[in-house]
Amino acid sequence: MTAISERQQRAYIASQAADMRVNVELETEGMTLNIGPQHPATHGTLRIIVKLDGEQVVAADPVPGYMHRGYEKLTEVRTFPQVNTLINRIDWLGSFANEVPFILAAEQLMEVEAPPRAQWIRTLLFELSRIANVTLFLGDMAVQLGAVTPVFYAFRDREYVLNLIESATGGRFHPNFDRIGGLKDDLPKGWIAETKQVMVKVNAFCDELEALLLGNEIFNVRTRGIGVIPPEVALSYGLSGANLRASGVDWDHRRDTQVGLVYDKLDWKVWTHPDGDSFARYWVRLQEVREAAKMVIQLCDGLPSGPIMAKVPRIIKVPEGEAWVATENPLGEMGYYVVSKGDLVPFRVKIRSASFNNISIVPWLLRGVYVPDVITILASLYFILGDIDR
Amino acid sequence: MSSTDTDNADGAPATDELRNSLVEGLTGELHDGVVASHLLPGRDLWVRVTADAWETAGRVSRDLLGCSYFCYLSVIDWLPSPFGRSMDSSVDNLLEGVTAKEPEPMTHGVAGGDTRFQLIARLYDVHRHVGVNLKADVPDDTLTMATWTKLFGGANWHEREAYEMFGITFAGHPSLRKLYLPGDFEGYPLRKDFPLLSRMVKPWPGIVDVEGMPGVADDEGGE
Amino acid sequence: MGLVESGKLPKPLTKLLNISRKYSMWVYQWGLACCAIEMGAAFGSPRYDVMRLGVIPFPASPRQADLVVVSGTVTDKMAPAIRRLYEQMPDPKYVISMGSCANCGGPYWDSYSVTKGVDQIIPVDVYVPGCPPRPEALLEGIVLLQEMVANEDMAAKWKGEPLVVN
Repeated sequence: MTAISERQQRAYIASQAADMRVNVELETEGMTLNIGPQHPATHGTLRIIVKLDGEQVVAADPVPGYMHRGYEKLTEVRTFPQVNTLINRIDWLGSFANEVPFILAAEQLMEVEAPPRAQWIRTLLFELSRIANVTLFLGDMAVQLGAVTPVFYAFRDREYVLNLIESATGGRFHPNFDRIGGLKDDLPKGWIAETKQVMVKVNAFCDELEALLLGNEIFNVRTRGIGVIPPEVALSYGLSGANLRASGVDWDHRRDTQVGLVYDKLDWKVWTHPDGDSFARYWVRLQEVREAAKMVIQLCDGLPSGPIMAKVPRIIKVPEGEAWVATENPLGEMGYYVVSKGDLVPFRVKIRSASFNNISIVPWLLRGVYVPDVITILASLYFILGDIDR
Repeated sequence: MSSTDTDNADGAPATDELRNSLVEGLTGELHDGVVASHLLPGRDLWVRVTADAWETAGRVSRDLLGCSYFCYLSVIDWLPSPFGRSMDSSVDNLLEGVTAKEPEPMTHGVAGGDTRFQLIARLYDVHRHVGVNLKADVPDDTLTMATWTKLFGGANWHEREAYEMFGITFAGHPSLRKLYLPGDFEGYPLRKDFPLLSRMVKPWPGIVDVEGMPGVADDEGGE
Repeated sequence: MGLVESGKLPKPLTKLLNISRKYSMWVYQWGLACCAIEMGAAFGSPRYDVMRLGVIPFPASPRQADLVVVSGTVTDKMAPAIRRLYEQMPDPKYVISMGSCANCGGPYWDSYSVTKGVDQIIPVDVYVPGCPPRPEALLEGIVLLQEMVANEDMAAKWKGEPLVVN
């Protein structure tokens, strides 16, 4: 692993030294502050109990579970297509992305492969859901820091992408479009041309945000050097996705694990950033949206023709076995460990969701941090409550 | 001790050097700690270790084999459910004198198993892009396993979740308490003998609109 | 007001007060899950603007809100918080339950940790079905609520059964 960079070390030491000076001057009593569960900044119902010493956090304890719906128990009493409907709602912003690893795991157990056209369309919708998900993050992190305008742009530009997803699948989010062996339907006429136009808009949105925010002095002061995560710590906590890549670890499931989506046929790159602070996490995600738009255009151009559903029986009985499939979801690495006993229902589905690990680092990360920076760090880690609580 | 199956089915490589080296590394350090292993070439690797060797297996995987990315840690309960749907239940409600059926004999999955609960964890090497699924039988009498929190920070929350969902204690965990459920919740929900009360109190409301569950050879009438 | 309590409020005055109330609601959005995103699109995005109905989102606190939209799954752990929120709101207050999870438990009807509908905890005026309901559906729910408010009998609402806090 790479050692913590000099710059990170210096920033950390400087912040600790500044705190020492303050703590010597004032005698304060500790206070326990309860952030959440209903709070505009917590993306849902996350409760964090922080013990404060003045303005600094001494200890932080996130309390998840306010959105715990018991997914893993519910999958044991639903058939495989019914489970597919349910798991759409785990990461409720990038919802097509939730279905893909589960369907791929079931296909692995059934030893069925989706036809090429279905794989290309799956990848297309996967990247579209990534765009829909991360554009909201880009606007949302800005509004947590006080920049209210970008979130309206984000909602407006998301509408175009949601329109696309809706015209193809029927649902703005929660499409429930993936089927074991392929997809439910083919794409409607004129969809490809419209997608390309929308990607132009998405690129314009990214440029707009970059001009508005990345050079902004306030944004830089509030995010640079805040919430630095060294790569070894990130790996031991199981951070994934853009959070890990912003700490300098060059790992992306799309490139490194071949699972049945067609990333090896596209020309794209993985973005990393060496700093590991909140700015890096924002920056990496912004570049990923641009990259996703680029990939969508390539996918539109190279879409092969053919059937969209392989030959599978009407009643899906998945043969006995265990399979693990993980993909690079918008939030991080999402994986399903499916245990099947040759039945209509899965025996056990372990849902490995990205935000669960991403938030487990919060007790470690929030020590010694000032209260406004708590909001910045939470916003930059980017979690969805449904992903934490399942 | 360890047996690896190779599979030539769909163009996968006949031998998987990288994953074989992982198995050999583990066996070399743990010796009798490795009970069984299962390798799907080009796909995945499962290794089952004894309960005593659980912590060492994690340490060896992280330090020696380079699998420093902690993916997840969870539990599989192999008892077949007395309540859940299975191939021969036509409706899954237990109203009016229908008793829960006797669970079928317990069978285990990949790499075998002896006890009801099995810990499963996944560690991954982000540079060589290979991972290992580690399984361990949880002793039935004590339901206690060693903790991984000193090895991986992320294991903290995963072990808390395993504790509240299955009732497995982890010796040495800094604060083993409930993660998801409210404080006064009784029972361990993900155990197979924990019933979903809503399904027992009244039948699924959609049952009136849905065609009956098809028989084995029946291809008409879908879900 | 003495007139309201004794039920002697003249009809034109009731009508005027009802109209003024229905067009000046401050909506507190209790966004829990996926429906919160659709609610955000309805309230915040320029496309499904809710302010044109006279309903303003984002009050500073529940103590200043007239209407609460409960959107998303209500879990048993979250239920006391919702109860406390409802009690914090001043009368007259209205509740819209958005989405099938808040209506009846939705796709998680058999879960061990989900409250089967928010109406088990607080009284609901309008149910908006869907999973998630489109923003237009939520706007229609708000319009229905406004019609209900327009025809409301203020004296009856004032003298209604008090909520027992147990």
